[in-house]
Amino acid sequence: MIEFRLNGEVVSTVEDPNTPLLWVIRDTFKLKGSKFGCGAGLCGACTMHVDGVAIRTCVLPVAAVADKNVTTIEGLADAGDLHPLQKAWVAHSVPQCGYCQSGQIMSAAALLENNPSPSAAEVESALSGNICRCGCYPRIKQAVLAASDAMPQFQNALSTRQEV
Amino acid sequence: MQIENVSRRRFLKSTAVVGGGVVIGFSMVGCSSPGPLPIELAEGGFVPNAFLQLLPDNTLRFYTPRDEMGQGVTTGLSTLIGEEFDFDPLDMEIRFAGVHEDYNNPGMGVQATGGSNATHAHYEQLRQVGANARALILAAAEQDLAIAQDQMSTDNGEIRVGSERYPYGQFVRTAATLNPPSEAPLKHQSAFRYIGRESTRVDALAKSNGTAVYGIDIDVPGMHHAVVKRSPVAGAELQSFDAEPIKAMAGVTDVIEIGSGVAVVAERYWQAKMAADALDVNWTSVPLSKVNSETIRLDYEVALTSDEALVAEDEGDVDAQWDSAEHVLEADYWTPFLSHAPMEPMNAVVRIQGDEAEVWSGTQGPVAAQGLVARFSGIDPERVKVHQTYLGGAFGRRGTLTHIIEATQVAVATGKPIHLLWSREDDLKHGLYRPASLVRLKAGVSAAGKIIAWDAARAGGNISEDTIKNMMPALFPGLGDGLIDWTVGLAQGALKGWVTDPSSIEGLFEDYDQAHTRVKHATINHGIPLTFWRSVGHSYTAFAKESMIDELALALNQDPVAFRLDNTKNNPRLQNVIRVAGDALQGLQPKEGRYLGFAAHHSFLTDVAQIAEVSVQGGQIQVHKVLCVVDCGIAVNPDIVRAQMEGAIMFGLTAALHGEHRIQDGEVMESNFDNYPILRMKEAPSVDVVIIPSTDKPTGVGEPGLPPIAPAVANAVYRATGQRLRSLPLRLA
Repeated sequence: MIEFRLNGEVVSTVEDPNTPLLWVIRDTFKLKGSKFGCGAGLCGACTMHVDGVAIRTCVLPVAAVADKNVTTIEGLADAGDLHPLQKAWVAHSVPQCGYCQSGQIMSAAALLENNPSPSAAEVESALSGNICRCGCYPRIKQAVLAASDAMPQFQNALSTRQEV
Repeated sequence: MQIENVSRRRFLKSTAVVGGGVVIGFSMVGCSSPGPLPIELAEGGFVPNAFLQLLPDNTLRFYTPRDEMGQGVTTGLSTLIGEEFDFDPLDMEIRFAGVHEDYNNPGMGVQATGGSNATHAHYEQLRQVGANARALILAAAEQDLAIAQDQMSTDNGEIRVGSERYPYGQFVRTAATLNPPSEAPLKHQSAFRYIGRESTRVDALAKSNGTAVYGIDIDVPGMHHAVVKRSPVAGAELQSFDAEPIKAMAGVTDVIEIGSGVAVVAERYWQAKMAADALDVNWTSVPLSKVNSETIRLDYEVALTSDEALVAEDEGDVDAQWDSAEHVLEADYWTPFLSHAPMEPMNAVVRIQGDEAEVWSGTQGPVAAQGLVARFSGIDPERVKVHQTYLGGAFGRRGTLTHIIEATQVAVATGKPIHLLWSREDDLKHGLYRPASLVRLKAGVSAAGKIIAWDAARAGGNISEDTIKNMMPALFPGLGDGLIDWTVGLAQGALKGWVTDPSSIEGLFEDYDQAHTRVKHATINHGIPLTFWRSVGHSYTAFAKESMIDELALALNQDPVAFRLDNTKNNPRLQNVIRVAGDALQGLQPKEGRYLGFAAHHSFLTDVAQIAEVSVQGGQIQVHKVLCVVDCGIAVNPDIVRAQMEGAIMFGLTAALHGEHRIQDGEVMESNFDNYPILRMKEAPSVDVVIIPSTDKPTGVGEPGLPPIAPAVANAVYRATGQRLRSLPLRLA
């Protein structure tokens, strides 16, 4: 049995430890926001955070997250609220088909966590592992830069809430 | 050999294959009487037509007749109906329509989405439906409030009388007792409040918080997962396989032969995938097994050189013009097989219970999904319920639904609800492809800078054969296999005799003013499965045409914009986007080491001109900026027009810089994004889109942004390096 925290809750699974985390999250825990795109860690559609780091979960055995914190798109913001990236995604009408966007947002969120005011070049570098076949790249870049302005406020609010 | 193509236009009329769309005009589709609308009635809900359900609490549900694959059609169509119903599309609940002929594409006569035609085809229909529904609500309000209609106005879902406001939902009971008008007057354009408004997409939030549901996300009780092992060479048949070693693997419940190969069924997807990977299968050899990329190109060259091509268009006397021309240029342009590679791989969920079936899948044709489940389960189509979902990209790929056939066959054989999923390797190696093409152009210009003669020939596959083969069984589930085979054979034979389907040569000759035109076509199908790919024929004809135009301008020592303006007098809308882009070009001052390339093209009733700003360093082509000028009539949602131009440019850049499938012994060699790269963010240019203001009916936006980008980049690369690249993807010597 493998135990880990999924979006803040302790969960456990008896799936084969070699099963990629993506399929455990989708098929066992029924969280469908993280997507399957390539199965080879090449497109980023499956990106989640493991202890705050953006990871390609289609090639990560579930055993590797034992006792770790896993965050998916569903757990990115507190219930009923949106992450600044998600607000920026809506404001800039970023998505087209939308399929890759959870992965894009999770990669961008990990970037902003470590570097709240990235340059355009830093955004490109952090997000070039995420493919968008619809070609939303210019808007993704604009939205990440716009969201970075709102990050300090979001982080303050989060830490205030956690203290309460 | 030359056969006069007398039948081409008649063929167009009788079966109307729309470029980028789906085979249309099958009158037989409409012979069944329309059944009840597939709308789940809410408590007190009022359904004035197939597209709307109004609830007493003023919730408005819009049943979108076209499929949302990212092109923004739900936003566009809800805007059309909302404009006349007077209800903000951002306040509507969007639902995907089930199967019913009221949801047919008015431009196709069948319930399908493609060909960039949705906004154009529904423009009058959905506004009229909205206006009629509004008139009905007003009549009901008049009765309920005992106030004359001329004292009332409407405002975003409310009736206004003086300072009083009454939500539409208040009148649904009375409205349901009244006869709806059929021709309520439409608004004048100057009164539009939602059409033309800058607003976000209706699906932006669901696609930013992980809640948008795609076919792959469907999860029904008792569902098992299926993975299919298919032949590496298209068309090869199963010879033998040994299921025993994998039957003992964890979770595996069934290993069965189906039409396309061997299906492995397990409790979990990963278990099915592991077992399928471990399965050994032997396949028959087919003629395609001897085919390689090199032999394909050689076959095309032989066909064009030996003049096997048939004449598809012939105006004036091309051959008589060469002697009098100032310059005559001739060149070949090569474009390879390509995949659509939508981010969501093909998938379907099929559940069969007794004499009823359900299918969940994101498709470009829910009626085809219904027909295929019916045909392969033996269940009456009326008892097959189709649940449409969002499409995780399509670009033409989700018009062919062999994955639904597979899921149905597995569900029938196992008796289990089946979730069937293709891997990325399946998608790239076992899919359907944009046909490879060899285009040969010969053009003559006068000393005065006029194009005199345009002689074009194209050799390559013809997508109609596969389209008909794939669509007929889906659209006519009741016809027996023998009859289908006979009809398909008849249609394919007819296509062979009748030169080509128009999408094979669309865009190759129509844009410029030359008086003498000849277009020839050699259809050569090696057995690689083919289908519509974003912008279809335009995806390769624009590259050839706009490269040749650039070469002609250079031969004349003329400015390429001025040369195009001089030769597009018969196409004033195209000429205008060239002029606007050309004016913008005057103001551009690229940094040192950057070069500009120009191209323009008409497709899907829309005109686009693009300027690409390019640098070349160490053999690497980098596209920094693109300026895109588009005339698509009224921009129903200007931001979606911009988004579609941006997206089509990125899609076209993947083809221009990376996209190529190689064939070896009949097998597609590329298997994932490492060897079939897609443009990434660091390669993506910034894009400025200029939309020409217009009062004309809207025209296509999903595809027309794509065709000009490859030639615009190639023309810039020539200026940067002196190398004229006539093959895609662009590779410097």
